[in-house]
Amino acid sequence: MDPPDDLDEYLRGDSALSRQYRRESTPTTPRALDRRVRKISREAHGTAQRLTQCLAPLAFAASVLLSVALVLAIVFGPQTARRVDDAPRLVRVAAHADSSPNAPLNRARQLYSSDPQHLRAPSAWLADIAALRRAGRNSEADAELRRFRSAYPAYSADFAIRP
Amino acid sequence: MLGHMEPLDEDAMLMVRYRDGDADAFSTLYARHKGPLYRYLLRQVRNAGAAADLFQDVWWRLIANRARYEARAKFATYLFHIAHNCTIDFFRRDLTMRRAARSDDADAQVEPEVPEYQRPDGIAEFAEQQSALLAALGALPREQREAFLLHEETGLTIEEIARVTDVGLETAKSRLRYAIRKLKQSLLPAQIPDAQPLRTRTI
Repeated sequence: MDPPDDLDEYLRGDSALSRQYRRESTPTTPRALDRRVRKISREAHGTAQRLTQCLAPLAFAASVLLSVALVLAIVFGPQTARRVDDAPRLVRVAAHADSSPNAPLNRARQLYSSDPQHLRAPSAWLADIAALRRAGRNSEADAELRRFRSAYPAYSADFAIRP
Repeated sequence: MLGHMEPLDEDAMLMVRYRDGDADAFSTLYARHKGPLYRYLLRQVRNAGAAADLFQDVWWRLIANRARYEARAKFATYLFHIAHNCTIDFFRRDLTMRRAARSDDADAQVEPEVPEYQRPDGIAEFAEQQSALLAALGALPREQREAFLLHEETGLTIEEIARVTDVGLETAKSRLRYAIRKLKQSLLPAQIPDAQPLRTRTI
């Protein structure tokens, strides 16, 4: 067991050992070393400042661009958002072939993909197109018909989809 | 080890200011800590050239990582934890080089390439500048010497020394106890008559 007084006395401070060490412990950093460290600090600080100076105008330009884009979207949004035939290949069709002309369309099944992996069966697709015709939505029916023919070029089904 | 929450000291606040872009804060920090840090490194590696390299490395690391600094402990524990890691890396590299040099020497029987600070003339030059106390300090096991230096140069408590050196509290306390006992007994027997017998155990 170590006697406690050695360490305790030392930690209280002002021990003979500490006084002796402080008398002898005099070396300081060489000036050249000081200069090098201060240079490292200055360069790092300068780099950070340059980055800030470069990024501030970029951030401002990005903000302006974003604002302009938002304004354009608000002003011209409804026109640009109008669907055209060749735009996103997700289509709206009626849900059931046997719906009456006045029956509401089944909105829960309106989105269909033209991805070959997810093509609808021709009969179901034609039935939907016929339902659009009966509902008087001829432009949508025409668009769907073009997509149908693109997907099934050999399929003859004019009887079901004429206006 | 440095995640323990403590009241912030003035230097930690300076470091926060430096992190946030105040270059003057670094000048103050540097002026306050350069001496203790330089002496810590010099006494630890016992070579002026290597100490200068490590000194730069420590400050470079602090500067490079300033954006990630969080004032969670006394600044000195942060700075000297970096210094501790730098010296550990140094001693590892040194050991690897010595082994490689020995291996090459055995294979080729030629003088191995060693850094200037490891050459006998460099070591002798450093030894000439040492007092008896510093010579005895240099003879201590590295871990005991480090505990003594951290307390003397920075005023760190045993708990803080334990955190800086990544060891338990009792280990840090034992290292410091053995260091001061050896230093007192081997250097100042006339001035400290109640000194305990020298032990050779290392931690």
